[in-house]
Amino acid sequence: MLAMLLYVDPGSGSYLVQMIIAAILGVLFYFKSAWHRVKAFFSNRSQKDKKNSSVNDIDNV
Amino acid sequence: MSEPILHPASYRDPDGFIFFKDGILFRQVNQSYAANYQLLIGSGLYDVLVQRNLMVRHKVIEENYTGSTDWFLTLKPEVVPFISFPYEWSFDMLKDAALLTLELNKTAINHGMILKDATGFNVQFQGGSPVFIDTLSFEAYDEHLPWKAYRQFCESFLFPLYIAHFQHLDINCILSAQTEGIPVHATAKLLPFKTRFSLGVWMHVYLQNWVGSRSVNETTKSQFSKKKLLQLTENLADIISGLKYENKKPGWGSYYESTILSNAYLHEKEIALSEVLTKCSGGTVLDAGANDGYFSMMLAKQFELVIAADFDSLCVNNMYRRVKDQRINNIIPLRIDMVNPSPAIGFANKERACFTERIKVDVLVALALIHHLVLGKNVPLIMVAGYFSQLAPQLVIEFIPESDEKVQQLLKHKSNLNNRYNQHDFEIAFGSYFSIEGKYQLTDSKRIIYMMKRIVQ
Repeated sequence: MLAMLLYVDPGSGSYLVQMIIAAILGVLFYFKSAWHRVKAFFSNRSQKDKKNSSVNDIDNV
Repeated sequence: MSEPILHPASYRDPDGFIFFKDGILFRQVNQSYAANYQLLIGSGLYDVLVQRNLMVRHKVIEENYTGSTDWFLTLKPEVVPFISFPYEWSFDMLKDAALLTLELNKTAINHGMILKDATGFNVQFQGGSPVFIDTLSFEAYDEHLPWKAYRQFCESFLFPLYIAHFQHLDINCILSAQTEGIPVHATAKLLPFKTRFSLGVWMHVYLQNWVGSRSVNETTKSQFSKKKLLQLTENLADIISGLKYENKKPGWGSYYESTILSNAYLHEKEIALSEVLTKCSGGTVLDAGANDGYFSMMLAKQFELVIAADFDSLCVNNMYRRVKDQRINNIIPLRIDMVNPSPAIGFANKERACFTERIKVDVLVALALIHHLVLGKNVPLIMVAGYFSQLAPQLVIEFIPESDEKVQQLLKHKSNLNNRYNQHDFEIAFGSYFSIEGKYQLTDSKRIIYMMKRIVQ
């Protein structure tokens, strides 16, 4: 019955390899999003600084 | 009403099969697929896929044509204009078929279903776009399990693309021999050493090869998730999108752009061809030796369907890109060697029909090809004429005279073939199978375009 249901043989180790790959991709994804958060944090800050400085510029004018 | 005839390739899937009845194609859905079929329709997946032109449409017919006891439903699928196989596709065609398969899988996962198989034989081409043809490939998705068809996807798509990308090899001949795809252990041996430092190749090839060679107990329920599966699908799509085919060997890739004769020759040939074509009738044409599809584009304006075949995989790839970019939906570029066309293969030699059996067209166009077959491949004129007469009832053929620079190049090392090739013998040989209806001399190059009709024998 199982053989009939799995008419495409997933192959010995195919499930295990997908679990390992998914774990690697999960770690990569975690670091990628952490990096994006860090980048976003600094770009927001620099944008704020820019805004503040432009406001100051206007004030100065 | 004739008896239904089972399609010789439709025996693997226990959930259904395709068959012909009175020459019309139908698909039977068996009882075992009933729940999955209802999910396919009920989840809205079918509607999404056909609206986005990712899968062929079908009509439901509530009649049991085959009389089988496990019948659930009969479907009448939309028929694609020409059936081609992955070993006839260029690199970008296989790549687009792979990306389509991944897109289908992603869409299916988001509708609570998943692809239970992932082979190139489930994809066909309509001009520059691939379309999925196997309606019964979707099944209910169990979020705890990885993708059952992952290995098949790798072997059918990812590994051949990797080999072509890293080794600059034509994959058509390998895929013609390995129709189920290239196994992981062979891929690991064929890829160059530097690929060990690519994370994608390391994970999908070397790691898979290493894990696959060990015995693993897969009956334990693995802890997978939808998020993980979507990440895996996304990763495969990212890798495949970045692969490209650059053949380093000198070929025919820029024949018309760099090597061919003058613009005046092309212009004169275009005028002669358009005049010849007014004498041709029918809707389908095979452009044999199409190169990068320069004249196929012209043919596409008159014919409903153009099969543009060439033996140079780089040319076919360039042609496919042009067809895709210009959104031409009636040219199918294929990598076919006219002296060694795709054979009949698979179970009982009937599963995948040979090219000659599939290609039933109204007109065969063979421009600047005859000298390559006769002088380049040593096929006698009479044999070429005999084969061409099997392909189409009308023939448009360009004869390249013995004095032509290209013929002289071919004869340089084959002077013993000199007496096999001249205009008189050409007309005699083709006259055995065709009647010559028109002759157009190109003044500049002395080449001649013939219009011929097959003699009914």
